[in-house]
This record gives sequence, C-alpha cells and structure tokens, in this order.
Amino acid sequence: MFRVGGTVPLMDPTQATREVFWNIEYTWLVYVLMVPTLAVFGWGFWLKIRRWRAGQPAIRFDRPAERLQLFLRNAVGQGRTIKRRYAGVFHTLVYTGFIVLFLATTVVAIHHDTPLHIMKGHFYLIFQSLIVDIFGLFVLVGVALAAIRRWISKPKLLVYTDEASWILVTIFVMALTGFMIEGWRIAVTDDPWAAWSPIGNLFALASDPLMSDAAMQTGHVAIWWFHLVVAFGWIAWVPFSKMSHVFTAPLNIFTANLDGYGGSLKTIDFEAAERFGINHLGDFTWKDLLDFDACTECGRCTDVCPANTVGKSLSPRDIILDLQGLMHKRGDEFLGAVDGDGGNGSGELLPIIDQKTAVSPEALFACTTCAACMEACPVHIEQMPKIVDARRYLVMEEADFPEGMMDMMNSLESRQHPFAGTQFSRVDWTEGLDIDVMAEMDDPHEAEVLMWVGCGGALVERNRNTVRATAKLLQKAGVKFAILGREESCTGDPARRVGNEFLFEMLAKGNVETMQRYGVRKVVTSCPHCFNSFRNEYPHFGGRYEVYHHTQFLDQLLESGRLDGHDAADGSNGSSTITFHDPCYLGRHNGEYEAPRNLLAKVGGARQVEMQRSRNTSFCCGGGGGMAFVDEPPDQRVNQERAQEAVDTGADVVAVGCPFCATMLDDGVNARRGDREVKVKDVAELLWDAVGEPGQAAP
Amino acid sequence: MKLLVCLKQILDPDVPARDFQIDPAAKAARRGGANLVTNIFCENAVETALQFREAATGEVKITALCYGESSAEDCLRKAMAMTVDEACLVERDGNTNPDAAAVGRVLAAAIRRLEQDGGPFDAVLVGRESGDWGVGQTGGLLAEELGRPALGFVESLQPGNGGVTLRRQTDVGIEVAEAEPPFLVTITNNEDNVPRIPKTRDVMMSYRKPLQKLSLADLELDSEEIRTGSSIFEVEEIFIPADEVECELAEGDTLEERVDQLAKRIHEVVASIG
Repeated sequence: MFRVGGTVPLMDPTQATREVFWNIEYTWLVYVLMVPTLAVFGWGFWLKIRRWRAGQPAIRFDRPAERLQLFLRNAVGQGRTIKRRYAGVFHTLVYTGFIVLFLATTVVAIHHDTPLHIMKGHFYLIFQSLIVDIFGLFVLVGVALAAIRRWISKPKLLVYTDEASWILVTIFVMALTGFMIEGWRIAVTDDPWAAWSPIGNLFALASDPLMSDAAMQTGHVAIWWFHLVVAFGWIAWVPFSKMSHVFTAPLNIFTANLDGYGGSLKTIDFEAAERFGINHLGDFTWKDLLDFDACTECGRCTDVCPANTVGKSLSPRDIILDLQGLMHKRGDEFLGAVDGDGGNGSGELLPIIDQKTAVSPEALFACTTCAACMEACPVHIEQMPKIVDARRYLVMEEADFPEGMMDMMNSLESRQHPFAGTQFSRVDWTEGLDIDVMAEMDDPHEAEVLMWVGCGGALVERNRNTVRATAKLLQKAGVKFAILGREESCTGDPARRVGNEFLFEMLAKGNVETMQRYGVRKVVTSCPHCFNSFRNEYPHFGGRYEVYHHTQFLDQLLESGRLDGHDAADGSNGSSTITFHDPCYLGRHNGEYEAPRNLLAKVGGARQVEMQRSRNTSFCCGGGGGMAFVDEPPDQRVNQERAQEAVDTGADVVAVGCPFCATMLDDGVNARRGDREVKVKDVAELLWDAVGEPGQAAP
Repeated sequence: MKLLVCLKQILDPDVPARDFQIDPAAKAARRGGANLVTNIFCENAVETALQFREAATGEVKITALCYGESSAEDCLRKAMAMTVDEACLVERDGNTNPDAAAVGRVLAAAIRRLEQDGGPFDAVLVGRESGDWGVGQTGGLLAEELGRPALGFVESLQPGNGGVTLRRQTDVGIEVAEAEPPFLVTITNNEDNVPRIPKTRDVMMSYRKPLQKLSLADLELDSEEIRTGSSIFEVEEIFIPADEVECELAEGDTLEERVDQLAKRIHEVVASIG
C-alpha cells in the first residue's frame, strides 16, 4: 500500500481527502479579494463586448449544429492548433492542464462552500490528486517548451512582446507555487495519500531533509497567499491581454464563416451604403472586431503568406494586431459611436488605412487572396476579406491602386476581359473544332452543359491548348455542350478581388442575364476563379447553376465510363513524374483536392509526387487577387518561389488546373528549372495527351 | 473659366487583328464583336482639363461635347464620372464619313449653340488625333470654323498670369506659351495626363446627371451636306495592308563572311529603293 515516511498506518481509501484551508487563517480574505478580481475581469470583457457591438451586423449564430461541430473540432479539439507539431504539443499541454486545474479548483469550491463534500475517496485520490498533479506537470512542461521557443529558438513568426513573456512567467509561477504549497502540506501533515500526488510529493521529499516543519509551515502560508494573489491578478489581467483568447477564440470559432473562403466576401448595397469598402473600424462587422480580439499572436498567417514569404510588406498578422491595437487604445476615435457618442467629438471617424504600415496601400495590394492565412489560423480569423474590404475603399472611394490593376480594370470596363492588348478573340481557339455557340443554335437548350471558357482560357495563347483539350475530351465523351462565344464576359473575379465590387456586380449581372436567356443550368469551366464566382458568388445575383471545374467533370466522365478509362491508363503523356499544384480557388476556397489527382492517377505511366506545400496548405502561384496583372519586383516574385518548390520535387511535369497558375508557373519554372526539361501543363492537356486518338495530339 | 473638351468614340484600337474587318462598299471598318471606347487622346484632354480645374483658384466649369452615335453617350457618361460638369451629345445619324472638315463644322455649330446658352468657352480642348483614322485635322479645322487661335500638341494647361500657361511638345523639346482666352488646343499624351479611373460614387452619379442631346437639325445643319462631306477630304479606298515578309539569310562559312554578305545586301536593297 502507499506509505510515506512510515509513520502513518494503512487507511481506508474511501475516506481519503484533505483539509481545504490547511494552515491558512483569514480565509474570508479569499472571498473579499475575489470580488475586485471578478469585477475587473467582468469589466474587461464588458469593454470588449461593448466595442464589438459598435460593429455592423452579421449573421453568425445561425446553423447551430454546424457551429457546434466546428467548435468541438477546432476549439475543444484544438484541430488546427495541433497542426504545427511543436506549438501544438505545448499548447495542448498547457490547455489541457488549465482545464483540469480549473476543474480541480471548482471541485475544491464545491467541496468547501457547498454541502456537497465531493473531494474524497477514490475521486479525491485519482482525479483531485493524481490526475491534477500530472496535468499540473503538463502546464510546467508546456510553458517550458513555449519559453524555449520564445527565448531561445525565436522563430520569425512570433511577436516578441513583454506581455507574452509575462504570460509565460506567471503561468509557470502559478503552477510551480501550486506544487510548492502542495508539497509542504504533504510534508508537514505526513499526508498518508502523498503518493497519489507524485509531483507535490517529490517536492515534499526534497524539502523534508532541508527544512524544519515550522519553516515549511511558514513558507506554505507565504507561498499560498502569493499563489493566490498571482492567480487572482492573472485572472483580472486576462481580458486585457492576449490570454483573453481563452474566451474570445472559442467564441470566434463558433461564429466562424461556415461558407468556405470562396464565399467570404460581403456584397455591397450600392444604393444604401454610406461608404464603399472599409476605412473605419466602425464599418467592420462585430465579427470582424471580434476577430481582432481573438488573435493569439501565433503568426501562422504571416508565416504562410506568399507575399510575405517573398519579402513584401504584407503581413496578415500585423494587420490584425495593428487594428486590434487601434481598437483597444483609441477605440473611441477609430470606432466612433460607441454607445452612440460621436467618436472623437468632431463627428469624424479616423481612417485606418495608412495609420500603420501593415494597413498601407502597398501592403494591402500585395495580397493574392489565396486564403492561406485563413486556413492556417487556429482560431478562424478572417484576414483576407478584411484586406479586400480595405482595397474596396481604396479602389472605389479613392481610385487609388497599382498601375497594372488600373489597366486590367480599364480593359474589364471597356472590353469585359482583363487582358488588354490580347491578339485573340473569344472564339479563335475553336478553329477547326466544330463547337456550338449558344447564340447560333436553333435550340440552345439542347446543350447539356455550358462550357465556360474564361478570359484566361480564350485570350492567353498559352492556355488555348487547355480549353481545346477540354473541349475535345468533352466531344470524345459525347457530351452535348456549347459555349457563349463572344457573349461571354469576365465573371468579374479579378475586379472583385482587387476591390472594384461595383464593376464585379455589373459583370456578374450581365452574365447572369445572358445565361438566363439560354436557360443554362450546368456549367463546366477550366478556370477556378470563374468556378468560384459561379459557385459562391453568382447565387446572390440570381445565377444558380450546377458548377463543375473541368477536372471534376472529366473525372466524372471517366468514372461513368463516358470517357474510356482504359485508353487513359494505356496512354501516356510522355511524362514520368508529375506534381500537381493546387489552385487556391479550387482547393482552399472550394475544398476540391481529389478530382485533379484522381485524373492524374488514371493517366498512364506517370508517378505523382507532392510538393512540400500541397492541398490545403498549397502555396499560391502569385496570380490571384489581381496580382497576375501587376509587375512584381524581380526579387519578390511569388511564382518563382512556388516554381522552385515544384522543380525541387524532381517532377518533369508540373500539372495545373487554372489558367492563371499556368502562366504564372510557366514563367516561374522557366526561370528556375536550370538545364532540366520541366513543363507546365493543365490536367486536361495531360489527359488529352493520354487518351487522344493518334494524330490528334493537342495542337 | 469655362473649358470645353471634345470627345470621339472609336472602335477599340486593341481589337484583335483577326477580328478587324472592313466593309469596302461603305468604306468603313465593321464593328463586329469589337468594343467602342473613347479615343485615348480625347481622354487625355479630359484629364488635362480636370487637372487645370484642380490647379485653378477660381471656378472652372468643364463641358464635354461629342459628335457621335447614341452609343457615344457612354463616353460622355465616363467623362462625367471623371467629374466633368456637363455633357452634350450631337447625334450622328449613321454617317461613317470621317471628313474632319465636316466634323469641325458640326462641332463649331454645337459650340456656338452652347455658348449662346451659357456664355463663351475660354478654351476648347481637342484630342491630337483619333485612334481610328488618325487624320489629326479636326482640331485645326474646328479652330478655323470658330475663328480662334490654335496650338497643337499641348500636354498641359496651367493657370498663368491672367491667362493660361501651355506646355507643348515639339521636335526639339517642350515649348511653354502664355495664352489669352479664347483659344483652342489639341492635346497629346504625357505621363501626367493619363486618364484617371473614376471613383465608384462618381460613376453612379454620372448616370443621374443630365446629358444634353442635339440633332443636326437643332444646329440648323443639313444632314446630307455633312454626310457628303467637304470637297477637301474624300475616302477613296480602305483596305487592310497585306503583311508581306520576305526572308533572306546571309550566307557564308564564317561570321565575318556572313556579316560582309549582310552588309552587301543592305547596300543593294537601299540602292534599289533609291
């Protein structure tokens, strides 16, 4: 049985317990101190809630079942936090330790302050002693690991503040002093159940030969009150530090956007809106403001940001933290109308753009809208839509944006496509293919599906091969399809991402009208940006279609046997190793990772290898968010960073599923492949190379 | 001060080459699937006028005037989105004759009508030339019709000592001139008069601003006379030049021989052209 010091006889474990306030006098003081502690704690969170309420409305308490699921997975289950191994491990140690220690304190409170004396017997021994001790150790180890990272390995992604250091120190002190007082109590009382508290007991065994009982008793009182003051002080500090994430993060996860990144941009009521886009904190929704308070400063968003990786000034982490800082320190000036008063008194709200470097136009216009930041964020902060909100202000209110984007928008306005100076018309690629154009058909309803070609497919020389291959595969499978030809306009994606919501809306409405005229129900497109617009954005304008990315549709054709799978398996596209680059707007934005890989697996001969960053952590080609139209400085090119990664896999073909990725990676691979022969090819081109009849190789 | 800017709507000069077609009978380009845009030099002129207004201390009112088909309303709306104050469209009745003298007559009549109603224009700004025909005569002929002094290839207008300071591009450099209103200038482009992108609210407002429309009859012009054009300008034939490339490789075993051969052939070709 468990014996310590040999002085206590065997006892009945069902009677095991301990005295709650052993060695402590003036215990009423605990309750007195608790009042200001909880008052400050409550006041702190009331301030936060008051600030959030100054935001615009947003519906984020609908679909409770889905929200609960997300909450359980990523708040309770730490689903995203644990994706980074080191941080995931120490955070889990501290997080679980905190929960268990909190429960233990609750048990003590119930035991002492209510008639329910639950802290006894096996429950006392197993949970309140053994488990609590183990989890207390977890906290110590977790904090130590965090400290090693913060003070020794110092990764770039962290924010190095005194606050963060003090948080580690205080948590460590709380856990350590907890063990000290437990140890001295065990030693002085000769606790017969000491062995159930292994860490406390270790401390008791260590202190016993060094200190007298009286010294331990004095030390116990002093450290006990010190522990209490630190703990209460810490609790009062929580709402004013990043530790508030203990509450704000779970709430933020529960109220996260459930519609995927592809559907995360707000629409604007142009007739009613006072301002277009956002340049004042008060124009954000309450959920945006909650986002600022939910940030844990982990830095993962900035760590995965393509623009930041290549050395541009964009840092999603700093955008969130800088706006958080403005909201906290000068909330009334920036937020205005808190509780109905007029902000800084002049009735004018202070602008946020250019207040801090993180929210400078230069940084904002470096975003590719790839959503890597949102996918990396453990607490579901929505960085990218805020960047687009600010861009909207710059573009629509200030008409202030980079030159390349200006040319693109000019072209969209006058030619309905972003490629000023293209030598091709929308139908040139169809030459020799006998493809139906809806306007020229007797009955356009005969077309089973609309093949949406996209500007990037029809008007950029390099991509005409892709749309030709797609069309020929559809023909081979006997799919009755047609195109809109000259009636097709840009879906408006580049305009929307750059911040010209007005132009996007005009283009979207025009396309919906055209498609309505022909009764279009099913759409196949080889452009993930068009795919995303149709799937997530056009329903708002009354355009509801069954939308497929060409890889999804072609995969279905193979599955259903309409395209001969044997052909594909027997055929060869002449490559030996293929690596697939996930387009942001197919993968992260719309969750499709399998279809292109399935297709490539069915193409004969080639082995598939993955890049370091693939699927949901895929690294943008650099072309999204209107960036395909901007000249990047030669030493800050996102496409070259990605191309290097693709080249490093040793693959001789980089497979893509997006016309923007194709051109961006073509350029990047050519710059980085050295003497090796590495080709960039769309999945449809590769499939056609494999299944196309002899003499019908893609042109 | 009052400024007037003339605008022309043209076929998008960026139309893909194989989309560009010609109707030989009508002696005009077919629109086909191509877009219509405001001629770039006219947009430079709008931008120049706007910058003058921004630099001026007194009130400056800018009017945009266009002689074009009803589709040209888009050009005027865009000019108003760029914050031009007023716009007037003289409706063209399907006449494709590019005769600059006839166009000058129409514009002059419209300007006189607008001046009758609202007082004289201190300066008339016309694009240097248009991206479709590239004749570059309209400005000069309009000045002649109006009987006002004119200066070509101006890139900026700044408020000057009692008048207007003009900068104009010449073969030898920039010429700075002081001008007393009224006058006419043709505007060329430089890096500073790149047409601005309108703010969205201004785009929305531009559709709510009134747009004056005048017909040739309103201006007491004979539409047939304008269609026939002046006797000083006539389109004889319009065609897409055949792009013929003859390729000849300089031969020789060594680089020196090939360079010699190349130099010899250049001499021969130059001599044959005379």
